[in-house]
Amino acid sequence: MPLDQQTADRIRAARTAWEEGALKKNLQRMGLAASPVEFASPLDIAEDDFLERVGFPGEYPFTAGRFAVPLHHVIWGRGKTLGGGKSIRHAFGYAGYGTAEDMRDFYIERGRTMARGGGPNIAFDLPTQTGYDSDHELAEGEVGRVGVAIDTLKDFETIYEAFTGETDLDRIASNWTINATTNLILAMYVALAQKRGIPLDKLRGTPQNDILKEFVARGTQIFPVGPSLRMTRDTFTYCREHLPNMNTISICGYHIREAGATRVQAVAFAMANAMAYFRVAVNAGMSVDEVAAKATFLNFGGGMEFLKEAACRRAARRAWAKIMRHRLGAVKPSNWIYRELGGGLAGFWTCTRQRPLNNLVRVAIGAAFAAMIGEPPACEPPYDEALGLGHSIEARQLAADAARIIMEECRLGDTPDVLAGSYYVEALTDRYEDEIFGLIDEIDRQGGAEKAVESGWMKNEVLRSAEDFQRQLETGEATVVGVNKYTEADEIGVMTPRTSPYPVARREQAEEKQIAGLRRVKRERDPRAVQSCLEKIENAARDERANLIPHFIEAVKAYATVGEICDTLRGVFGEAR
Amino acid sequence: MKHRVIRVLVGKAGLDGHDKGALLLASRLRNAGMEVIYTGLRRTVSQIVTTAVQEDVDVIGISILSGAHLSIAAKLMARMEQEGITDKRLMMGGFIPEEDIPRLKAMGVAGVFTQGAGFDEIAAFIRDAVAAKDRS
Repeated sequence: MPLDQQTADRIRAARTAWEEGALKKNLQRMGLAASPVEFASPLDIAEDDFLERVGFPGEYPFTAGRFAVPLHHVIWGRGKTLGGGKSIRHAFGYAGYGTAEDMRDFYIERGRTMARGGGPNIAFDLPTQTGYDSDHELAEGEVGRVGVAIDTLKDFETIYEAFTGETDLDRIASNWTINATTNLILAMYVALAQKRGIPLDKLRGTPQNDILKEFVARGTQIFPVGPSLRMTRDTFTYCREHLPNMNTISICGYHIREAGATRVQAVAFAMANAMAYFRVAVNAGMSVDEVAAKATFLNFGGGMEFLKEAACRRAARRAWAKIMRHRLGAVKPSNWIYRELGGGLAGFWTCTRQRPLNNLVRVAIGAAFAAMIGEPPACEPPYDEALGLGHSIEARQLAADAARIIMEECRLGDTPDVLAGSYYVEALTDRYEDEIFGLIDEIDRQGGAEKAVESGWMKNEVLRSAEDFQRQLETGEATVVGVNKYTEADEIGVMTPRTSPYPVARREQAEEKQIAGLRRVKRERDPRAVQSCLEKIENAARDERANLIPHFIEAVKAYATVGEICDTLRGVFGEAR
Repeated sequence: MKHRVIRVLVGKAGLDGHDKGALLLASRLRNAGMEVIYTGLRRTVSQIVTTAVQEDVDVIGISILSGAHLSIAAKLMARMEQEGITDKRLMMGGFIPEEDIPRLKAMGVAGVFTQGAGFDEIAAFIRDAVAAKDRS
């Protein structure tokens, strides 16, 4: 309720008396020039109206939570209850390495117990993400390294040999962390389903497909912004017609944050990108509700100042609800919330190589705050994030247990938003919402995210923030324990054992095996069919109105390679700068 | 001691797109008075070495976070030898596991800098390496 004048005056008078009395005396006694703490009162949220600014969880404006009961109470990130799930050894999660055979065997060996209906959540290697074949010069050393290598449909067929019968394509949902080459991966999934005789409307899955943030943060863009967004449009319209149960995009703030953005920039830029994608869909004849229903979010990233992170996340919920309802005109309340199953507030960039077990402390506290605002208490990343590619089984076990302790021993999820009504957090939430809209309005003035990305503005803003934080680290304004403060001449090594989830030797052999496999496919396929498919792709690419996905499906069925198709497109679209 | 402007090539080899470290380093070395040539993303080893020759740099600094550092370092050293530019110092940084650092140094990589390395430390290393080279 807004404060009445009399109450406000009384609180203001008391505050002044407190500042000049108790606070001043305390500071003097402690020898402090300024207070290291802040205390907010109803004066700081004087305009507050509970229903307008906070509301009940699961109701507009969703400040107190996107759902009346946070989803992770029933669905945990890896498809299991927190307490009753199988050992972490059996959880798949986001994974990928080596050749398609390696990946298939990995899935078979681990059993079929994983998330979201039992499908894989596939990490692809960089050649696959950037549209090069495994035998390309740039691919050397990268094949099967940060994910599995896909050159042709043959590789997809091999991976999915692990998913048949009870886990056939109509029974599972697949997740693919793929952006520039999303439509090729979708085409392979469609081709595979058609070969197996599975109706396309039964296919479920989520490609990441967030190309704008690649330009800003992650760097796997292939084509310029214009043709890239045209391919996003192709995903939207093809899926609407043929894959009604497929999510089309997963919009990410997390990578932008990891690249150095502030918490407000990460939220605002991800939302501006989302608005750009939705405009693409609307221009292609879809309604906002239609495209939003198939769009998910992948988190806004995080950092170490958890009161601020929590407030910013609450501000994000409210800002998105206002954008969807009032700026974009979505009608269905379910589209006023961003759908994501991320969580955790600590971020990945905060993890240090020095004293790596400290990372478990960092992410666990961040997850505790996530639980307290009704977000999934994901203790991510596992503590050995900064030590090398891939997390050990032990680190993942510790992370999973930390989340279980937060929820089931500490019971921090007993209310969806314990910070609601905190004068301090509500005041911060208001401030962050204003700042988010400030940036979104600035991007609108530039002509939308597509322009702000194309001009390099968004990336430069992120870089400026990264430089600023680097300066804070060097001046000691920001503290990272064990890195720029509290370091010892004689460090103690505290570590757990680290068992790789992947057979390391197989990863080392992957490049050679993958290239041999690619040559075999090329020898056995009909080269004229491939040539004809590539020509059709080239012609279709020249016609802005054409949807390329049907041509990709035909081409992958002829075993055209990812590199060949992308080279054809590079010839028409040019390359991203 | 000669007072001249040190020239540094900062490059991203392979397909890794994470360029925060490379861009921050480039800007910091410029502030430290060095001439910095940044290659941009996704450069082949031969493109990097050609640029190093054309720009006559003193130091080649490669940032890589994808795990492909060993094979890229081997190719770079071989190519630098071919071009007769082993007097230029090769440095690497990024996401490089502790156990790989001795292997990189054995290949001839002059310095390896990972997370938490200070930019001042890197700049000082470059100055020392160039001064040693100029003396020899």
